[in-house]
Amino acid sequence: MEEEEIQKAVVAYLRKKGFTNTELALHEEQNRVSFSSNSDHSVSRFENGPVRYSDGYSKLRLWVYSSLDMYKHELLRVLFPVYIHCFMDLVAGGHAHEARNFFHTFREDHESMHLRDLQKLEGILSPLHLEEIELSRSFRKNKFKIKMCEYSYDLLLQYLQKTQSFTMRGVINEHIDFEVSPGQPTSSSGDADFVTIEGRNTNLARQINQKEIHWGLLEDSVEQHLKRAVSDSEKAESANKEVNPEDNKKRPLDGGKQGIPVKMVKKDKLVSMVGKNVRSETSAVSVAPRVKPELTLPATLVEVEQAILDDLRSRVQLNSLALPSISFYTFINTCNRLNCSSISQDGSLVAGGFSDSSLKVWDISKIDQLVKTSSLQGEKESAKNENLPATEEGRKPYTLFHGHSGPVYSATFSPFGEFLLSSSSDSTIRLWSTKLNTNLVCYKGHNYPVWDVQFSPVGHYFASSSHDRTARIWSMERIQPLRIMAGHLSDVDCVQWHANCNYIATGSSDKTVRLWDVQSGECVRIFIGHRSMILSLAMSPDGCYMASGDEDGTIMMWDLSSGRCVSPLVGHSSCVWTLAFSCEGTLLASGSADCTVKLWDVTASTRASRVESKSSSPNRLRLLKALPTKSTPIYTLQFSRRNLLFAAGAL
Amino acid sequence: MSIVPKETIEVIAQSIGIANLSSDVALALAPDVEYRLREIMQEAIKCMRHSKRTVLTAEDVNSALSLRNVEPIYGFASGDPLRFKRAVGHKDLFYIDDRDVDFKEVIDAPLPKAPLDTAVVAHWLAIEGVQPGIPENAPTEAIVAPSENKKSENSKEDGLLVDLKLPVKHVLSRELQLYFDKITELTVTRPESILFKEALVSLAVDSGIHPLVPYFSYFIADEVARSLNDLPILFALMRVVRSLLQNPHIHIEPYLHQLMPSIITCVVAKRLGSKITDNHWELRDFSANLAASVCKRYGHVYHNLQSRLTKTLINAFLDPSKALTQHYGAIQGLAALGTSVVRLLVLPNLEPYLQLLEPEMQLEKQKNEMKRKEAWRVYGALLRAAGKCLYDRLKLFPGLLSPPRHPVWRINGRVATSQSNKRMSSTNLSSQQPPFKKVAADRPAGAMQPIAVAANLQGAPDGFPTRSSGTGVGQPSTSGQVPMKMTGGRQEKGGSVAPKGSAVLAQAWKEDLDARHLLASLFRLFGEGVFSFIKPVEMSFFI
Repeated sequence: MEEEEIQKAVVAYLRKKGFTNTELALHEEQNRVSFSSNSDHSVSRFENGPVRYSDGYSKLRLWVYSSLDMYKHELLRVLFPVYIHCFMDLVAGGHAHEARNFFHTFREDHESMHLRDLQKLEGILSPLHLEEIELSRSFRKNKFKIKMCEYSYDLLLQYLQKTQSFTMRGVINEHIDFEVSPGQPTSSSGDADFVTIEGRNTNLARQINQKEIHWGLLEDSVEQHLKRAVSDSEKAESANKEVNPEDNKKRPLDGGKQGIPVKMVKKDKLVSMVGKNVRSETSAVSVAPRVKPELTLPATLVEVEQAILDDLRSRVQLNSLALPSISFYTFINTCNRLNCSSISQDGSLVAGGFSDSSLKVWDISKIDQLVKTSSLQGEKESAKNENLPATEEGRKPYTLFHGHSGPVYSATFSPFGEFLLSSSSDSTIRLWSTKLNTNLVCYKGHNYPVWDVQFSPVGHYFASSSHDRTARIWSMERIQPLRIMAGHLSDVDCVQWHANCNYIATGSSDKTVRLWDVQSGECVRIFIGHRSMILSLAMSPDGCYMASGDEDGTIMMWDLSSGRCVSPLVGHSSCVWTLAFSCEGTLLASGSADCTVKLWDVTASTRASRVESKSSSPNRLRLLKALPTKSTPIYTLQFSRRNLLFAAGAL
Repeated sequence: MSIVPKETIEVIAQSIGIANLSSDVALALAPDVEYRLREIMQEAIKCMRHSKRTVLTAEDVNSALSLRNVEPIYGFASGDPLRFKRAVGHKDLFYIDDRDVDFKEVIDAPLPKAPLDTAVVAHWLAIEGVQPGIPENAPTEAIVAPSENKKSENSKEDGLLVDLKLPVKHVLSRELQLYFDKITELTVTRPESILFKEALVSLAVDSGIHPLVPYFSYFIADEVARSLNDLPILFALMRVVRSLLQNPHIHIEPYLHQLMPSIITCVVAKRLGSKITDNHWELRDFSANLAASVCKRYGHVYHNLQSRLTKTLINAFLDPSKALTQHYGAIQGLAALGTSVVRLLVLPNLEPYLQLLEPEMQLEKQKNEMKRKEAWRVYGALLRAAGKCLYDRLKLFPGLLSPPRHPVWRINGRVATSQSNKRMSSTNLSSQQPPFKKVAADRPAGAMQPIAVAANLQGAPDGFPTRSSGTGVGQPSTSGQVPMKMTGGRQEKGGSVAPKGSAVLAQAWKEDLDARHLLASLFRLFGEGVFSFIKPVEMSFFI
């Protein structure tokens, strides 16, 4: 009665003041409220109970499935968020049984797109779990963002109004942001983008992705030295060659392998001579402004620089027509214990990290000699050797590094091969000297297993990523981390340096890739699009692009400046363990658990995508070649400076 | 509601010594247990991924537990996969077979071999993008999917890299050229000389002439087309073909398509040779045999070879507008291909054909002696083909003329012999005989006998009821429908034979019938001419 009186008073007031429009609106509203409350009476039993969720959802689903074909795929996008939130509402309301029933009834609809999310949410049965799982928290905190065209949006609103289903309306209002675009509905092929973009911190991501980054290469890089050197006389070049110790070391190694590399190197020279002109042209064209390093970089030794210059000169020019040669290192007799492997830049050293916490380094250039000597030795002598390991130099085919107290998950060589870093589940990172064959430093800082460690392209600095959801930047001379990058919602699984050393990229189990500024420690980009855990990252040498590979076998190519996916690369059927760009950035090599190395054409895809980037149709990167191994999953890929591709895997 | 039922919780509680766990507690614990299990597995999967494996091991679960500061589960760390056993009497209850191990046994056991040490081996996975075919690499053809092949081709096209195959230069040594020139010259100019015969032998045995085969096949095809009027050259060319076919050192298969038309031309050409006196019949016979031998040898390689050949021949045979010489060649060609071809293709058409042929053979109807001669040639060829076929049949089914019927044969035979002997002597292909049809009509006896048996068996329900129904169907299908009419008067005589029909006869019945009809119809068409193809022993049955 009170309400009525108030209303009357209000109406009287409005009349007196002459607000006729307002009065009409008020009436209208009142009518609607009373009408809905009347109609609600009949269904109120359901509306309050848990049934209303499944009821409302199944009605919505039926409606969506029977909607017009043209708009169906847009409307379908609404279903998943509604489904997830209905389920979580039910769990939060304490209706665990109904929640489970609801979940299983409609699970099939979403399995193809969101299998992993569903698997995570499946176990949730109490409100407490909702709080604990980061995925559900992120769902709760953030709104889904759904793009649809005007008409689809109208259709949806009409439906919600007509059916008076307040539960659905509530869920949709509360958890979904619509981004209504005028015109025709987008093509259904772009579906994946729209569905996966939602659900995360999209606003934040957008905000972050607006930050400026300088993805240009370093001002004073060796590449530039090369150009200077090229302009120098031929005489200097030949002189360099003779004094160069690196080169002499490399030759016998290459020559040992069927004599092909020697021929190749000769040929390469011709190519590179031609290629130089091309390269200088392209670099003149490229608009990338050179940037100053944010870190103080270590000075490169003169002889090392000479070696690099020499390598650069004899680099093979790779493109879609000139594919690289691949030298494959197979680890045998590992008994499934090899966790990671690493190959030095020149391919002469191969390291393997094992789950028995050992780290072994093979010097490939010495293996041939070793085989000979060991075959000369008698059985007895070799048996004796096993009792005194590593005391006598060179008897064992490898150098054993002992120090970790848990499985070694990652290893990385410094750019010039004199140091080796390894990370382990004992939460430490260790620095080893390959010259002295000993442990130099133990870096303690992470609290949980360190999944990945990577030397910066110039050495000295390195980045690590861990189960403790942080990535850290270290320098070799300090046992404390220089920066701690926190922000990922789950484990940080892999880390990679940008070519100019000012940024690192991290891939995480929360299915995002982030780019961090090394100097400030801020997150400057979030790349959203993967549907499962990120396992591998690679940065293009020109600094514009990044590739990331995930557990499902999808590889995504990202444009660093825009933070957008240039193109998804579909081809692998299992985890992509490793990615590598060729030295000029024309090819991308990917190695996977499906026992293939695949070579992708980067130039074609990025060029094409630049033109088409606005039209939002995901064009596929071209697969150039798939090279299967017999049954060896590929763990590591590494392009040498001369563009010879090294690959390693455990049989 | 949880996948962990509360009973499981109760069982676990009992196993750790809590006897009186209330069911409410168990019910509340169950979902949490499930959740914790999932959590551990999620961490374990992470550990698995970082160990770069796709198979989850007990070790991964242990490291996941240690991540959560939970004590690992001991006892499952061995690398072997766990062997679960089904519990007796339960459908879905499994346990790990954990045997008690005797210490003494373990201590006394000889030390296992030290495992091989880890090593690294290197090989080339690809050289400039191409996988070398070394044992370390997977066989590329088997693995690379055709779609990928196509893609790589596309990439080539994109790059405007056109890979044209240049024609391969065929280098012939001077000796071979000389040899070729000599042989061709001999073939064309002196096909009768001894030197040519030796050349043929050389062609048949020489191992080094394979490079010349394409040239020879071209030469033959060319020369046959050119010298259709020159019989000796054609003959010589066919001899060259035969020699080439005989040579075991050369692969003639790829050139057969070039050779076969030439051979067939020599079989069924309208005119071979320019003069009337030329014995082109011989050439036709020779070429027919050649074609048949090619079919026999390479029929399995080119499965459509024989079918194409027979089609060509049968078309020539059945076309009444073709000359008799062509008919002759076709018949000879078909006959050379074997009796089954004759039986299937020639015999069904025999009767209508003979009706066509008959006027040609008769003096009064065909005034041109040349034509008449040709007709008799054709007739002879047909008789030979059919007779061979019959002979073959008889050899296959010796029971056809089985002793029990002997007396009957004799009765009938007497009539037959008296005249057939005479006829036989006079069955000269070149002689101007009235058509044999008349003869057959005069004395159906010889032809009648088997049919009489057939008819009688058919009419004897006591003997072979099932068989007889078979014959009912079988008979019309064979060529001899006419004989049925002729049996009319013979039924009583045959009746005495029927009961004597032995079991052997009954078994071989159907095939026999076929053969018997064959004989009957052949006799009807050719008269005693066919008897010359029956072995003397078998002949005796008739006599």
